[in-house]
Amino acid sequence: MTTIELAEPPSVVVAGTDDVRAKKRKANTDLVIAVGLTAMIVTLLAWNITGFPAASDDEGTYLAQAWAVQHGRGLAHYTYWYDHPPLAWIQLAGLSWIPALLAPTLTAVAAGRIAMLPVQAVGLLLVYLVSRRVGMPRWAASLALITYGLSPLYLTMGRQIYLDSFAVVWLLGALALALSPRKHLWHFAAAGGAAAVAVLSKETIAVILPAVLVALWQNSARSSTRPWALGAFVSGLVLVGCFYPLYAMLRGELFPGPGHVSLIGAWQFQLGSRSSSGSVFTSGSGASSLLHSWLYYDSVILIAGAVASFAGLALRRVRPIALAGVILVLVALRPGGYLPAMYVVQVLPLFAMAIAGVIAWAVVALRPGLVWWRWAVLGAAITLAVAVVAPRWYVGDRRALSTDDNAPYAQAADYIRAQWPGRDDATVVVDDVLWLDYVNAGHPPDRVIWFYKIDLDSAVAKRLPGGWCDVDYIVSTPAMRQDPNSLPTVRTLLTNSTVIASFGPQDGRIEIRRVDKETPC
Amino acid sequence: MVFVSVVLSAFAAVTLWWTMHAWRTPETLAATRFAPPDGEQHLTFSLLVPARHEQAVLEHTVERLLQSTHEAFEIIIIVGHDDPETAEVADRVARTAPGRILVVTDHNEVKNKPRALNTALPYARGDVVGVFDAEDQVHPELLEHVDHAFRATDADVVQGGVQLINFHSSWYSLHNCLEYFFWFRSRLHLHAKKGFIPLGGNTVFVRTDVLRRANGWDGTCLAEDCDLGVRLSSRGSKVVVAYDSTIVTREETPHSLHGLLKQRTRWHQGFLQVLRKGEWRRLPALRQRLLARYTLTGPFVQAFSGVVIPVGVAIALWAELPVLVALFTFLPVLPMAATLLFQVIGLRDFGKEYDLRIRWHHYARLILGAFPYAIVLALAALRAVWREYTGRRNWELTSHVGAHLREAAPA
Repeated sequence: MTTIELAEPPSVVVAGTDDVRAKKRKANTDLVIAVGLTAMIVTLLAWNITGFPAASDDEGTYLAQAWAVQHGRGLAHYTYWYDHPPLAWIQLAGLSWIPALLAPTLTAVAAGRIAMLPVQAVGLLLVYLVSRRVGMPRWAASLALITYGLSPLYLTMGRQIYLDSFAVVWLLGALALALSPRKHLWHFAAAGGAAAVAVLSKETIAVILPAVLVALWQNSARSSTRPWALGAFVSGLVLVGCFYPLYAMLRGELFPGPGHVSLIGAWQFQLGSRSSSGSVFTSGSGASSLLHSWLYYDSVILIAGAVASFAGLALRRVRPIALAGVILVLVALRPGGYLPAMYVVQVLPLFAMAIAGVIAWAVVALRPGLVWWRWAVLGAAITLAVAVVAPRWYVGDRRALSTDDNAPYAQAADYIRAQWPGRDDATVVVDDVLWLDYVNAGHPPDRVIWFYKIDLDSAVAKRLPGGWCDVDYIVSTPAMRQDPNSLPTVRTLLTNSTVIASFGPQDGRIEIRRVDKETPC
Repeated sequence: MVFVSVVLSAFAAVTLWWTMHAWRTPETLAATRFAPPDGEQHLTFSLLVPARHEQAVLEHTVERLLQSTHEAFEIIIIVGHDDPETAEVADRVARTAPGRILVVTDHNEVKNKPRALNTALPYARGDVVGVFDAEDQVHPELLEHVDHAFRATDADVVQGGVQLINFHSSWYSLHNCLEYFFWFRSRLHLHAKKGFIPLGGNTVFVRTDVLRRANGWDGTCLAEDCDLGVRLSSRGSKVVVAYDSTIVTREETPHSLHGLLKQRTRWHQGFLQVLRKGEWRRLPALRQRLLARYTLTGPFVQAFSGVVIPVGVAIALWAELPVLVALFTFLPVLPMAATLLFQVIGLRDFGKEYDLRIRWHHYARLILGAFPYAIVLALAALRAVWREYTGRRNWELTSHVGAHLREAAPA
């Protein structure tokens, strides 16, 4: 029994067995290329991943939150105040126990970085897949992957534990599904779901959802199922996305109110009262120095990518990716907003694909064929590009592969592991990076306190009725010393304590200090 | 609670998946269409029209049938011996086309549709028997399409599309129309593909010899159409479904909520009877048997979940459940809400295909009416179980007033 299949659409070619085999071989070629390149780049990422770049507070924060999820302590070990949606560190919780189990002597942040490698691998593969699905030939898709993976900026940011890395992977997944060549209804629904997971991994990625919609719109063009495809996407997006506000509502924390945190209150803070990092055009502003630090690592991908994004808007198939790139550029350039340090993580894969897409178009438009001068133009362009890019990337990538910025942290973590057991009843104030090392060394989590929580979290202050006198040790790190005036208790602790162990050179020194209780509290 | 939620959402997801079968890819959608006929006519048709207390609509239906572009067909009207009004109408229209129309009187003490059809079967002279209800509005070109479909696919059974049209009549008719739309436009094709199909009650065409070999319809079953489909599927007959909005048979929804309830009770009870008869166990593949079991019990689970899910959500909201458990109770809402969204899109599609004007308030009605309609279905399911359990198996007839005819007049 079958349905009538007489009204075959003309686009479908009846597939003979030879055709299937050829298709399979083609798919295999793609797989070999993508997996090979990805393996190479993941190796580069993994090389010296513990040493470079310097461990940042954010990495420690997300890892600690993943730890809280793993240990059933809710979404964070402090009051979760809806600062970010939690899906990224829930995913991290699912990964981070593996390296911790295999290599217990690593610092927590180093182990966490290794846990991110599979995520990065998926991201790299998806860059290739999305590039192919927007119609790039194999060489261009490979170029996109290599541009993304070899950029020193990626080799730096891609090693760190950022929520954005999860969001990027899910968004690339959403793009790949929205561009599904079979135009399957459930691929579109899954695209919506993946987009929702991306947003719930890092909320800022929501600004490029229009790009996914454009991809979907283009892919379902001239098909009889477009309204259904859109419906599937929207239901996937909305229904999965709903679970976050739903969670807040079920906890009675959707709307702001006295005595509790709230989702909408957090949004108001993020959008309204969060202090601006200034304009990227104002020299000396936070946004401007951030941009310069990105440009310091890799100006090539940022400048070429921004240009390619705008140019790519004119090319139909590259348009979804170019649109995403353009949106990200415009958002970064808006005056008076807040520009987070990891913003560029979302930008890189899109820029890489836009660059490859525009180059692919240019090569096709040039049609080298048999005309010698066209070959010459092409060859000159390639030589020039390699001459510009290669030395810069060589320097940047070598730095990533050889510098060790985290030796003091590693020594401090070793010290904590070796010397600390037995001092369980002491209360320790640390930065976010070392928090988990203390907890992993067996220190009770309630007695290890993130330094800024003493001054900012009323629940923590309540645990210390004696104020700073209830603290026994403080671990002084560069992050803690950065802005002493905004945190009075921390400043008091730093002045009223003596060093018992210290690691690293002067400017990046990590000191373990005992709090002096002789001075009256 | 968590377990129930997971099971319900799995069920709802599978149902949604199957309901959306036709729209999965552009190719599947294209495959559900009738092929255009080749203009040749090789088969002869016997069209059975059982009519019972349907004097108001019968004449119009038969007149439409007579307009068929196909040359070789006869119409057999079956009337009850206790129903002189309908018999009179039947005789009158029979006189207008003496060679074409035959009126057969059903003398069975207990009257129902399958018995009426069985009464007429011996008189059928055509190669193919087609069944229509007395209120059906049949397209003149349908028979030519069906003729071609039989020849092109070598089928034993061809199921054409049926569509309720009077979506504007009441809040429930909108849902009722959409149910038909999704069933004939999409779901039935999946069943045909998988080799297990509960046939529809009309616009169904069976080769006469196949039908006679299967001993016609089951006179005791309340869902004789479903039963026939299951029996023919089990015997390996080839069933073909073809849908084309331009030649679909148009029908009307029951004209009262009570009528809808009765009709739905009958179907549900019929499904139960088919399930108990166990003919489906003869299906060759395990997958087919699972599909059969799932389809036949489906209406009950669907009715159950349509009510239980919103209630569960209400409990989750008002009772102080642990947050994780409460989140799980929302899981089945996902496919349910998606279904509703697809219904909205379906309504738009429905309007486009049938050239009907869908206004914003129809969409509003669709969304607001979803839960009440689920309650009606649940009530019907309960009623069906109750009647089957207490052994009340008589035929509750749905009456028809011809609302779809008025709708069709301006079009």
